[in-house]
Amino acid sequence: MTTAYEEKISPEYTMSTVMEEAQRCLLCHDAPCSKACPAGTDPARFIRSVRFRNFKGAAEIVRENNSLGGVCAHVCPTERYCQAGCSRCGIDRPIDIGGIQRFVTDMERRLQMEILRPGAPNGRHVAVVGAGPAGLEAAASLRRLGYEITVFEKRERPGGYLRYGIPAYRLPDEVVDADVAAIERLGVRFRCGVTVGTDVTMESLKAEYDAVLVATGAGEGKTLPLFDGDSRVETAVAFLARVRGNKGRGESIPDHALVVGGGDVAMDAATTLKKLGVRRVTDVAYEEFCEFLASAQELEGARNAGVTIIDGYIPVAVEGKAVVFRHRHIDAELRLAADKIILAVGQKADAAGLGLAMNGNEAQSRDYRTADEKIFVAGDIAPGDKTVVWAVRKGREAARAIHSSLEERRSR
Amino acid sequence: MISKDLSIDFLGVRFENPFCLSSSPVGNCYDMCAKAYDLGWGGVVFKTIGPAHFLIDEVSPRFDALTKEGTPFIGFKNMEQIAEHSLQENLADLRKLKEHYPDKVLIASIMGSNEKDWTELAGLVEEAGADMIEMNLSCPQMTSHAMGSDVGANPELCRAFCEAVKRGSRLPLMAKMTPNITDMVPVARACLAGGADGIAAINTIKSIVNLDLNRKVGLPIINGKSSISGYSGKAVKPVALRFIQQLRSGEGLSQLPISGIGGIETWEDAAEFILLGASTLQVTTAVMQYGYRIVEDLKNGLMHYMEEQGVDRLEDLVGLANASMVPAESLDRDYIVYPRLDEERCIGCGRCYISCYDGAHQALEWNEETRRPSCNTEKCVGCHLCVLICPVGALSKGDVVMKPGRKGKAEDKSI
Repeated sequence: MTTAYEEKISPEYTMSTVMEEAQRCLLCHDAPCSKACPAGTDPARFIRSVRFRNFKGAAEIVRENNSLGGVCAHVCPTERYCQAGCSRCGIDRPIDIGGIQRFVTDMERRLQMEILRPGAPNGRHVAVVGAGPAGLEAAASLRRLGYEITVFEKRERPGGYLRYGIPAYRLPDEVVDADVAAIERLGVRFRCGVTVGTDVTMESLKAEYDAVLVATGAGEGKTLPLFDGDSRVETAVAFLARVRGNKGRGESIPDHALVVGGGDVAMDAATTLKKLGVRRVTDVAYEEFCEFLASAQELEGARNAGVTIIDGYIPVAVEGKAVVFRHRHIDAELRLAADKIILAVGQKADAAGLGLAMNGNEAQSRDYRTADEKIFVAGDIAPGDKTVVWAVRKGREAARAIHSSLEERRSR
Repeated sequence: MISKDLSIDFLGVRFENPFCLSSSPVGNCYDMCAKAYDLGWGGVVFKTIGPAHFLIDEVSPRFDALTKEGTPFIGFKNMEQIAEHSLQENLADLRKLKEHYPDKVLIASIMGSNEKDWTELAGLVEEAGADMIEMNLSCPQMTSHAMGSDVGANPELCRAFCEAVKRGSRLPLMAKMTPNITDMVPVARACLAGGADGIAAINTIKSIVNLDLNRKVGLPIINGKSSISGYSGKAVKPVALRFIQQLRSGEGLSQLPISGIGGIETWEDAAEFILLGASTLQVTTAVMQYGYRIVEDLKNGLMHYMEEQGVDRLEDLVGLANASMVPAESLDRDYIVYPRLDEERCIGCGRCYISCYDGAHQALEWNEETRRPSCNTEKCVGCHLCVLICPVGALSKGDVVMKPGRKGKAEDKSI
C-alpha cells in the first residue's frame, strides 16, 4: 500500500495524450527550449522524435544527453528553463516539456532499454566523492569516455539529495533507482557507507587514483540562533530525509506545524507535512511573492496541498509556544504558535575533512579545478545554481575538465 | 544510440539508406540536395528536368493545405510543375552533386514531350553523373497535355517513351506512376515492356482542397481563378499503399522493384511501404513542412523496428505483408469479435454510445446512472466502430464467437 506521502503528484501521459502535447510543439528552428536547458538535454530534439512517433529514439536523446534524464523529468523546474524559452508562449502556453520527458523516460524504464555504453578503457581511474546528481553525472560522463570510476558515498545508497531530500511524491524511488542502476550497469563502482576524510583519507585517494572529484554537496541544514535548544525545531533536510526513509509511516503528527523559508526545500517540507496529515501548516518566507525563490510548480503544489503561505516576514523572537515575526518592509508583526518548527533557511557545504579551501559554501575553484591538480569539484560546492539540473551540468562539465586535464598531463 | 545497417540494393544501385527526396520542390538545386545529403538522406531524386524548349512559368501562390482541428497539413495541394532552372543549370547541379557526394545516390527525374526529348534528356543526365533515371509520367499540373499524368494514363505512350529513354541511356530506370487512373497495372506493365527496371508510385492525386466561400473560387486563387492539381501528404498514404499492393499482386509482379511514395512522415509509414513491397522511399510533403531533419527519426525509428523484428538486412522486410492482402471474397466471415470494456479506463464520455447508435447497430446500451456503456450481443455485429471512437482506449477486442452454423473454432481465429 502506498501512503498519501508517496502518491505521485504529476499526472502521467498516455500514448495518445503525449502525442496531443507533442503535436502542440512548433518544432522551432534553433529551438529556444534546447538552448535554455542547463543540462543540455535538448528537449526540441526529443520532442521532435516523439512527434514523429520514434519513442525509442526520443529516449536515446534524453539519456545520452543527460544520465539523470529520468530524475530531471520529475524534478526540474522547467518553467524557469526550457519552458520559459518555449515559442509556444507566443500563442498560448508552453509545451509541457517535463511531462513529455517523464513519458519518454518511463517508457525507457518499462522497456528496459540499455542506452548508455562505456567508452573503450583508457587505463585511467577517477574517484568521485559523493553520489548525488553531480557525482553521478560526472561518473557516467567519465565512464563513457573510458575511465574506471569508483564513487564513494557516505550514506548507505547512492543518490544524495535525490534519495534523501526530494520527497517521494515528487521523485519516486523507482525513478532514482532506475537512473542509478543504469549508471551502475555502465560499470561505475559504488562504495557506499564510506566517508572520505574519516574512513579513507583524501591523501590515499590521491595516491591511488588519477584524479579525485569532490561533489559532496550542501547536505546540512542551517539553523537560526533564535531557535537554539528548542526541542520543536528540526532542519528541513533532516526532516525530509527521515520521512523519505520511513515513507511517512510512524511520524508524530503535530496539530500546527510552522515552516520557515521560501525555497523549494521549504515548499517540500510544508507539502510533506500536509501529506502526513498535519491539519495546519503555515510557511513563513523571508522573500515576498514578487521575489519568491521556490519554483512556481512547488509553490502551487504547496498551496494545493493546503499550506498557508505568508511572505515577507523574518522570525525575531520565540515567546513560549509562539514564534514572533516582523515584516521586512512594513510595520507588521505576526505571532504563530506551533508544535513543530521546520527550518528551511539554507544549507551548508559538506566538505569537512577533505582539505578543500572554502569560500563560504563553495570550494575555491576555477572551471572545476582546484589548486591541487589532482582534485576537482562539482555540484553545490562549485559555482552556479543549486538545482538538480545544474548539478547535472556541473557534473558533466567537471568530467570534461578532468578529461582535458588528464590529457594535458599525459602530453606533458 | 542504435546503429544498424539500413542499406539496400535497388535496381542494382546501393543506397546507404532507403530514404530519398522525391522529385519536387525539395530537391530543386545543388544547395538543397547537398543539405539533404549532409543530414542523412540516402538519395535524392532531383526535381524533374524537362527539355530546353519547354518553358516553365509558375503561378503565385501555388499551394494549399487541408487541415483538421489542430492538425496542419493533413493533405497538401501543389501547383508547381517541373524544375524552373535552365537545362544547363540543372545538369551542372547534377554534376556537382555527384562530384561532392559520390557515395550518395543521385537520381535524375526527367520529362519529355516527345520521344526525341526523352532520349536526349536520358543521355544528358547520364553524362552529368546520375546513378539512375526516374521518368516523370505523372505530374498532374503540367501546362502541356503531351507531358505529365495525361501521358501516364496511356500505356502505349508510356511504353514508347520508356523505349526512347533506354535508347538514350543505359542507367537503371524507374517509371513514376500517376494514381489518377483506376488500374495502374497495365501502365506499369507497358513501362516494364518498354524497358523500365522498376516502378515509382505514387505521384500526386488530382484535387480541389478548399474553396474561398465568399469569392466562390478554389484555393489557391490566381487572379480570380484556380485549377485542379496534385494532392499529397499523409492523406494520400492509404491510396499509395493500395496501388503498391495492387502492383505487387499483378501476375508475375510479386517481386516488382518499387520506390514507394505518398505521405511518408514517420518510420512507421516507411515500414508500411517496405512491408508492402517498396525497397526505397521518397518524401516531399513532410520535408516541405518540417525540413530535411525528419530523416533522423525516419532512420533511427526504422533501425529500432528492425531490432525489434530481429532483422539485420532491410531487404528481408520488403514485401512481407503482400501475402496478407487478399480479395474481399477470400476473407473469413464466420465469426464476430465483440468489444470489451475496461471499466477502469472508461471516463464516461458516451461517444461510443452515440456512434454505435447513429453509425452502427444500436448495440451499446447506456447506463445514465453509472455513465458506462454495455454491449448487447444480440445486436452487436462486431464492427468495432466503438473501439475506434473511444478516446482513452477503454474498448478493445473481446470475446470471439462463431456465427451460428459455421464450422471451426473461435479460439483458432487470428483476430
